[in-house]
Amino acid sequence: MSLFLKRIGFILLVFTGVSLLVSFASLWAMRQGSFYKPSFLENQVEAPSFDYIVLGSSTGLTTLNTRVIDSVLGTRGLNLAMDDTALSSQYLMLEHFIATGKQAKTCILAASLLDYDVVHTRLSGNDYRFLPYGSRDYVQDYYDSFSGNSARVLSCSKWFPMIGVGYYNAELFYPSLISLFDPQKRNRFDAFGNYSYPVTLKSSEPIKGRHELAMEFQNPYIERIQDLCIKHNIQLVVYLPPHKQIAAHPIETSFQIINHSAILQDTRYFYDVLHVNALGRQKVSLRFAQEAADLMGL
Amino acid sequence: MLFNSLNFAVFLPIVFILYWLIFKRSLKWQNVLLLVASYVFYAWWDWRFLSLIALSTLVDFIVAKQLDKQEKTRIRKLLLMVSLAFNLGMLTFFKYFNFFIESWVEAWQLSGVQMEVSTLKIILPVGISFYTFQTLSYTIDVYRGNLKSTSNFIQFASYVAFFPQLVAGPIERAKNLLPQFRNHRIFNSDFALSGFYLIVWGLFKKVVVADNCAFFVNQIFDGAGGYSSAELFMGSVLFGFQIYGDFSGYSDIAIGVARLFGFSLMTNFSFPYFSRDIAEFWRRWHISLSTWFRDYLYIPLGGSRGTMWLRIRNVLIVFIVSGFWHGANWTFIVWGGIHAVLFLPLLIRQKNRTYLHETRIGVNHLPRILLTFILVCLAWVFFRADTLSIAMTMLRDIFSFNSGALGLFYSSSKSLLFSAITAFGILVLLWYELRTVQKNKREVMLSTYQTIWIAVLIVFMGVYKNPSDFIYFQF
Repeated sequence: MSLFLKRIGFILLVFTGVSLLVSFASLWAMRQGSFYKPSFLENQVEAPSFDYIVLGSSTGLTTLNTRVIDSVLGTRGLNLAMDDTALSSQYLMLEHFIATGKQAKTCILAASLLDYDVVHTRLSGNDYRFLPYGSRDYVQDYYDSFSGNSARVLSCSKWFPMIGVGYYNAELFYPSLISLFDPQKRNRFDAFGNYSYPVTLKSSEPIKGRHELAMEFQNPYIERIQDLCIKHNIQLVVYLPPHKQIAAHPIETSFQIINHSAILQDTRYFYDVLHVNALGRQKVSLRFAQEAADLMGL
Repeated sequence: MLFNSLNFAVFLPIVFILYWLIFKRSLKWQNVLLLVASYVFYAWWDWRFLSLIALSTLVDFIVAKQLDKQEKTRIRKLLLMVSLAFNLGMLTFFKYFNFFIESWVEAWQLSGVQMEVSTLKIILPVGISFYTFQTLSYTIDVYRGNLKSTSNFIQFASYVAFFPQLVAGPIERAKNLLPQFRNHRIFNSDFALSGFYLIVWGLFKKVVVADNCAFFVNQIFDGAGGYSSAELFMGSVLFGFQIYGDFSGYSDIAIGVARLFGFSLMTNFSFPYFSRDIAEFWRRWHISLSTWFRDYLYIPLGGSRGTMWLRIRNVLIVFIVSGFWHGANWTFIVWGGIHAVLFLPLLIRQKNRTYLHETRIGVNHLPRILLTFILVCLAWVFFRADTLSIAMTMLRDIFSFNSGALGLFYSSSKSLLFSAITAFGILVLLWYELRTVQKNKREVMLSTYQTIWIAVLIVFMGVYKNPSDFIYFQF
């Protein structure tokens, strides 16, 4: 038995050592690159301050083109929205932005319309992208605050990163190899963090009969984002992006709201129900620039 | 409880420690522990179906005891019938009831008669096809006088429910496994280590090879079509590796876990994709099932005795029943039939034993190996497709040779990544297997450092976010 236990112990020891080494190296490589937004913000964004940053999910990522807005307003903006993320992730991104020492005057929050009233929040599909910074308290606290398998995996990765890097190997381990050889490589966003969906629909039809959606902003992360903004003297503007089927009606709030949920009246501006295409993005970004100028005091 | 789950990773060391440290001196308590552990292992999936295992155990225990006492042939036959009726009845009800009803209705509909018959919502108990065959082998062997019945219920119940092989085999014969529950077990480090290495190798096959193949296989077989001939063909090839990695991986883990407790289980897969004809394939694929059918169906039917027509009939029956054993769907019956059609020319030309003793594989065998592999993969289309019409359409599209495009495998960065991982996993698998076959060994034997290397590959190449269930659980 002792021979067996010694051999198994040796195997486990070497295996754990090698796995730890590979995963630490993998996370280190991710931190040196710009593959996902958190490391892009650290490594490729040189400017120390911005007039505004865009936080949000895929709708924020693909709706507001900071290049268009900046060309109209003469501002400096940065899109930090990530696809498949919820308000909780946007809160984490804001914390991450502040932790890098950068500053912004305005935070444009462009989450999915339905996310604002989610009461029971869950870990988002792409929150693993913060794992390279898992040793930082705000990231660890964030992972610890959720339950479920994925959250446990990320939470345990502070001490045993091979758990997280192994679990998300397609999303972390292999991209880390890319980051190692090409640190400038970004995962589907440009140098300002923007991305757009192509124009695929050929038909042009008027959009009729949108559902009315009353919005009460019950998601607890709204308040946390607002508090964080106040603490760091950042103005919060909630942006409600265009939707093919929903017309949002927000209640009175203490923060500013730009409601574009129903401004596009033609299907040719949409990529799918939730997202605008490149045409829609151009139109909406221009409109946003006009409306935001006053709000941002420009 | 799945072998590739965190629950099992906790469960196994606990049982191992209790078994070798606490109950080391008592065979009886070791067997009790194995029985309790096996029932916990099964109950983790659905405790309600434990009663079926317990009932099957009880019936065969009593029948076998009575068989030993009775000398009258008529009563002995009657007792055997009781066991067969109970076990096969249970299997038929849970696995085939709805299939028979639906086929009956469809048959009448073909002749223009519409029938309104409702089917039952029946959950298929995991592993029912495996443990019923295992208990049946015991009763039949006792009936034939090849085995004495056991008077120790705990030993018998542990044999039936032995958790490493309970839900997906290997289907162990009582002659091999039951005596091991009677003998005092002494811990053998080398034997246990070989088991540990086999567990790691089995996990690699499942988590790296099978689950990465599933990424493409599911798209191709569950998709709405529109794939090129080459993509569809690759789908059938990848399913070949998926089912092999999945099932043989499970068997390797089962054999390895059994070794940790001092038990030796039979080899279930012996590098089937290095077979040089279909006959050899069936001597290498799911050996515990094919030998079960050989001993308890083929030979009682007359085996290879009698006229050529009788032999052909026997082969056809065995292959079709074997196909049907896999699932209540016409696709499995056709799959079995295809293998019979591929096997029969060898039987008729008396070439089905050509490679029985010629175990060494050379480069000159490569064309035959490739041909056999391609035929097996094309037959897998029926095994994987949900309906006969889907399988037929897929084969028609493969043989239309409409396009050699393989865009599915590199059209996005994600598919390119999975292609690379899958290809690398398959190459590692084939590399180790080829080396083993060339050494004429029965199983891949990893060294300590190879085990570490494979374990690291499992961590960084395995599929964990959306893992697939073991395919053979549904059988």
